Amino acid sequence: MEARPALSIQRSGASQLSNHVVAGGLSSSLPALSTHLEETCQKFPNTQQAHAERELMTRHLAHATLLPANNGVVGHIFSSSSGFSSDIHYSSALPNEQNSRNSPFISQSPINTAALPLSQSSNSLLPQSTIPSHRNKENSGSWCTDPDFLDFPEWADQLITGDDALTSNWNELLVDNDMNLEPKTAYQVAKPCTTVPAQTQQLPSPSVESHSVVIPSSSANNAPAKPRMRWTPELHEAFVEAVNQLGGSERATPKGVLKLMKVEGLTIYHVKSHLQKYRTARYRPEPSEGSSEKKLTSMEEISSLDLKAGMGITEALRLQMEVQKRLHEQLEIQRNLQLRIEEQGRYLQMMFEKQKSGLDKLKGSSSNPENPPAPSDATNESPTKIELESSQRGNGNSGTGTVNAKSMLERSPQEVCGEHTTPETVDLEKAETHVSESSSQQPSKRPRLEE
Amino acid sequence: MKFGKRLKQQIEETLPAWRDKFLSYKELKKLVRLISSAESPEFGKADAGAEFMYLLNNEIDKFNAFFMEQEEDFIIRHKELQQRIKRVIDTWGPGGTKPSEAEYKDEMAKVRKDMVDFHGEMVLLVNYSNINYTGLAKILKKYDKRTGGLLRLPFIQKVLQQPFFVTDLVSKLVKECENTIDQVFPVEVEAEIVKEQREAITVAGKGIFRNTVAALLSMQEIRRGSSTYGHFSLPPLDFPDSDLIHSFQLNSPITTV
Repeated sequence: MEARPALSIQRSGASQLSNHVVAGGLSSSLPALSTHLEETCQKFPNTQQAHAERELMTRHLAHATLLPANNGVVGHIFSSSSGFSSDIHYSSALPNEQNSRNSPFISQSPINTAALPLSQSSNSLLPQSTIPSHRNKENSGSWCTDPDFLDFPEWADQLITGDDALTSNWNELLVDNDMNLEPKTAYQVAKPCTTVPAQTQQLPSPSVESHSVVIPSSSANNAPAKPRMRWTPELHEAFVEAVNQLGGSERATPKGVLKLMKVEGLTIYHVKSHLQKYRTARYRPEPSEGSSEKKLTSMEEISSLDLKAGMGITEALRLQMEVQKRLHEQLEIQRNLQLRIEEQGRYLQMMFEKQKSGLDKLKGSSSNPENPPAPSDATNESPTKIELESSQRGNGNSGTGTVNAKSMLERSPQEVCGEHTTPETVDLEKAETHVSESSSQQPSKRPRLEE
Repeated sequence: MKFGKRLKQQIEETLPAWRDKFLSYKELKKLVRLISSAESPEFGKADAGAEFMYLLNNEIDKFNAFFMEQEEDFIIRHKELQQRIKRVIDTWGPGGTKPSEAEYKDEMAKVRKDMVDFHGEMVLLVNYSNINYTGLAKILKKYDKRTGGLLRLPFIQKVLQQPFFVTDLVSKLVKECENTIDQVFPVEVEAEIVKEQREAITVAGKGIFRNTVAALLSMQEIRRGSSTYGHFSLPPLDFPDSDLIHSFQLNSPITTV
């Protein structure tokens, strides 16, 4: 974990835009980047992210001329990554705010490229506790590691040393939310960052936290050399095209394919491993049943299904398909449920804290500990909206959602401190049974079941 | 321990190559227990929390790496299968050389089996993702409960963004696979025959089929009911044809080398 997180900050902290910039900026002109943007944006199924990147791109193109060639590229990484990472922050995650955040960095970039990562990461901080991004979709590409950091060894080293402190800060931050970490973190952040400008007195960035989780490569040693790429069918198409142009999978070389594909952010390592997989797939079609198992003859494989004599192979396969489809269906449903649950939890947390801050204000003036009418009105729309948006069967949900929020708010004065789980157990159980995909006959209060 | 047992079962029954890629649920649980019972002030919450996080992050890395690797494989194999089917159809079709019907049927049968197994493998990967996520959610809940920490909510938010959890692409491939199979191997009279056969079917061997049945049953068990039912819990699993699934009797797991 030592070396990797450092690079992952940059790698994954930077958006794929900046990845492209790094790889392409050195040799190609900046306008060329915008043409590649389309293709590489297709790498990730996120139009939202693509829009954010186009925004960043157009802004950076304007600023690019201010910076010297190499620094310009580096500046792009960091300024765009700062924009991106500030983008992911919960409290300030509006596209408008990206603009204001980016400019300070762009002006700083010529100063010290090595200092940039830490300054930008600390600047894009949240002053409060670690409620991470609600822009889930935008982050899906953030872990995409990028290309050749081999070109930037000096600051990479500095990052490597600097990151341990940051990571440990982050760990502390998450574990001890109530502790005042500022003196500690200021010390620890200051330690490795000798050249960093004075802004780095803040807590380490949640962009660190959200991206150290996404450490791309699992090998600790060759981190810069083997970042992991997430392939898509479109990218694979381009790959196959290139391979065919070069005369087939046997004759094509990784270097040739890489050149032909002209995809920003793609390294020869990616192409190499992909080519290997491709070759294997073509010349040993469908090994199936896991890679390490013995290859059975097709008759043995079929009879391994071992179905009753009445069933032909066709029916057996049909049955297998049915089961698999069923499993997949259920998995999708479960996943959606899980997403919604967490969304709800996050929403409640937000309301809870809003409520808490509202109460603190009230406590000063000796009024009753009930909610002022304003917050509860505000909650009326939002829970309903969330329920309606995310629920496929919004029938009973909107009502329950409102009821839930209200009842939670009423109870929250008792639970101001700390137990964040209890208010949530309120009537969400009812919501749970409502959202279950088939009508469940069991009551919401479930007896303890022993298995 | 219910989930732990289920997870263990799934791991045993899964494809051998996948066995060490799952969540180390037991180890993490032990750590949580250790953390909560530690009373010495030196081994404070911060260290334990850091250690815990470190392990969790490693696990997540493991999932991500494995998942993306498999995904890449699937992308390649998916395309190859599509091309293979096309080739077989073309060869037998109007434009190509016409081998004997038996050969054609044989080829098609092979392709069909491969496609169905491929479909199953992809679904198993989605299942892999899901079960690891579930395990993570559970272990985080335990951690918060035992240590009074507030790790769960923010951490799980990050997990939701991880590549291994974003299974959209694999699901898309699964659906495409289903479509292809439905088109190329249209459902005819077979459907009714199958529905009538509700007798017990023994599923032996380590086939993909067996794994998916196991996974489905497991999922149902995991979601049957919780002793610590909270608003973060999933409702029990209930789906039609559950009796069909239950009619599969699984042999004891045959472990392969």
